Amino acid sequence: MNFKKTFLVISTVFILILAACGGEATNVSSEEAVTQEITANLGGEPYTVDPAFASDTTSYWVIDHLYEGLYRYDEEGEVVEGAASDIDVSEDGTIYTFTIRDDAEWSNGDTLTADDFEYAWKRILDPETAAYDPSQFYYIAGAEEYNNGEGDVEDVQIIAEDDHTLVVELEHPVQFFPTVVLNHGYLPVNKNVVEEDEDWAADEESIITNGSYIVSVWKHDDHLTLEKNENYWNIDAITMDTIDFKMIEDTTTEYQMYQSGALDLVTSLPSEAIAQEKDSDEFINHPSFSVYTYTFNVEEEPFTNAKIRKALSYAIDREAITENISQGGEIPAYGYVANGITTPADQDFREEAEPYYTFDVDKAQELLEEGLAEEGWDELPTFALKYNSEDNHKKIAESLQEMFKQNLELEVTLENQEWNTFIDTFKQKNFQIARMGWVGDFLDPYPVLDLYTTNSSSNFTNWSNEEFDALLEESLTEQDEEKRFELLHAAEEVLMEDMPVIPILFSATNGLMSEKVDGILFDPLNQPNLRYAERIAE
Amino acid sequence: MYIMKRLFTMVITLWIIASVTFVIMHFIPGDPFATDGKMLPEKTVENMRAKYNLDEPLAVQYVLYIKDLVMFDLGPSIQSKTRGVNELVADGFGPSAILGIQSLVIALTLGIMLGVIAALYHNRLLDYISMLIAIIGISIPNFILAPLLIKFLGVDWGLFPVAAWGTWQHTILPSIALATGPLAIITRFVRSSMLEVLDENYIQTAQAKGVSTMGVVIKHGIRNALIPVISFIGPLFASIITGTFVIEKIFAIPGIGKYFVDSIFNRDYPVIMGTTIFFSLILVVTLFLIDLTYRLVDPRIKLTSGGK
Repeated sequence: MNFKKTFLVISTVFILILAACGGEATNVSSEEAVTQEITANLGGEPYTVDPAFASDTTSYWVIDHLYEGLYRYDEEGEVVEGAASDIDVSEDGTIYTFTIRDDAEWSNGDTLTADDFEYAWKRILDPETAAYDPSQFYYIAGAEEYNNGEGDVEDVQIIAEDDHTLVVELEHPVQFFPTVVLNHGYLPVNKNVVEEDEDWAADEESIITNGSYIVSVWKHDDHLTLEKNENYWNIDAITMDTIDFKMIEDTTTEYQMYQSGALDLVTSLPSEAIAQEKDSDEFINHPSFSVYTYTFNVEEEPFTNAKIRKALSYAIDREAITENISQGGEIPAYGYVANGITTPADQDFREEAEPYYTFDVDKAQELLEEGLAEEGWDELPTFALKYNSEDNHKKIAESLQEMFKQNLELEVTLENQEWNTFIDTFKQKNFQIARMGWVGDFLDPYPVLDLYTTNSSSNFTNWSNEEFDALLEESLTEQDEEKRFELLHAAEEVLMEDMPVIPILFSATNGLMSEKVDGILFDPLNQPNLRYAERIAE
Repeated sequence: MYIMKRLFTMVITLWIIASVTFVIMHFIPGDPFATDGKMLPEKTVENMRAKYNLDEPLAVQYVLYIKDLVMFDLGPSIQSKTRGVNELVADGFGPSAILGIQSLVIALTLGIMLGVIAALYHNRLLDYISMLIAIIGISIPNFILAPLLIKFLGVDWGLFPVAAWGTWQHTILPSIALATGPLAIITRFVRSSMLEVLDENYIQTAQAKGVSTMGVVIKHGIRNALIPVISFIGPLFASIITGTFVIEKIFAIPGIGKYFVDSIFNRDYPVIMGTTIFFSLILVVTLFLIDLTYRLVDPRIKLTSGGK
């Protein structure tokens, strides 16, 4: 017995010594030896970390890691309760009661209260604040009126009944409201901190967060470092201790930094590098929830005729564009809503619908002839394709010009403008057909289709269709998810039948991810989620 | 008296530049709030415009701007919600100036050396080598040179950090990339002006008096040959220490160079104004200092406050 024990002790010591000498071996066997730090590239200076004013993906990437809303994404990428421990929806779907977690705290030790949410949301709605996108709150009763200066703040139905109860009443029932609440504007801010110092979001010391991380270093235009927030209620789930964000704007430099080992993750690649890296194990490619289109002005000849508009769409070989021109894993678009939305039938919304058109030269010519006959024209007047000056847009515009010429014998001129001038031209509807891309705000067909309703502030097509408007309006209040999706499919069909806009492709994100890290979560809407990532080797 | 008058003209010059920029800038189509694809409701944009006084008539905006400018307040940046233009310039000027000065030192030392050698060995091998270097320096733009430097010296051989800011090592590659253009120009300048000077009578006199070749070159040659170079260095100095768009982008330098260009693309009016005024200020001050330097190099030049 005694001998056995001694032997055990000796052998244990021996093994420990061996393990200690092993060096490499210890790193593999015990993961604690690897410092949990990841270096990624933001692509530039985030303009702000205040959710009220953020408008760009760079800022959102940081913000996503700093704050936690009522809902959050878990380790599997599923949407679950976040700062709210319980969410109750009234039977008619208009009243949401959120119970704020007892153990939710701010990084300075303050308790997170329902009042912080009420304050944050109403702050965005306050016209004086001039926040970036108050319209994301317009589903809430009284919100739009207050924001437009026509109503009172008291009438906005966002009410903190007590420290832990937030009650929100909607204008009408909105099935997808939980996905709206995932928007960045719905994140809380610490009322006391914001009221005390209006420049609170300007530097690392005064930024107070309630999510997984705090800002430990912010060197403008250089780098930003996030450290785990010790006060975060769910801190044990966060595996990555430190996130170091670089701010390299040039994609070639970013790529070279990655090659030298200075970056673990890049989320954009110079077009030359895509072909080179495509087969590498480190290559990552993810669809993003955005659509690349050419938009018609339907009051501008010759695109007053739907058949002529559709003729152009049938004449486009989208596969040739994604395979030979954009080459970044984009998906040819045979409908308007991009991939990424799961329907009640557990299918992708896009896959669920049949393609609304194909690449069919005969059909294109037929439609063109019918259209010309309807309008009483002998031939189609020349028209201009407008796009904003950028290499890839230029290549796509040139290929469209070529396809229209070859397939429909049309003479098309190309006009390009620098982005800001282009946007101005676009908003003034000063185009016949122009390039435009849209990124969805949340994963639902409604907001992207809603762009084309008669009253939408983003509808620059002059297209107005009562049936389309009615279908979307009906879908907004439809409580039955299956029926709601049917209505949305029907609305998309109307849009594609009349074709005020030609979808070309659904965009994708390309990048590289080091094999030394694991567990980064990607989804079509957001920048990569790094909190659950793990470094597996130094 | 001369200095007072110069200072006064400097202020007037800056005021004119600020005013002209202000007017031109507002003529560019576009809006600071439409820089991304999202179309915001009209009302939201109106609120934002009101926040930055952009809803006021242009004349009122101008007066408001000049009022702040007199107090050395360059205003808020519309794009960056965390830093005003003053902070933006203060943060970025350091790195830009360090790179600028380093590359100017490289360009001047090597440029003058190569130029003098080329002139002394006129139409011989060393002249051809110097001129070859100068032509390469002029004809390879730095946006080509920089990625090449990064690829070979940074990625492949690992001698220097690829990019970003931090240690002195980080400054080497961008300084080299930045120096080549000016180096080439200085070399050619010095060579031609040196050739001219070497033909002058006073050089022959000095040689006849038995002054050594070295003495002639240094005491009489270079000193006179540098006068045209100095007038070239003024504007070069001002532009190189306020950063360059291309180099700062490629090497991810936290300088102000990129704001000169980005602000225009973003229609970030206060930043356009701020960077323009800051650059103009550096330029007029440099030109003033250059005028003083002329006197040191060439006593024949007198500083007067008029045609007296």
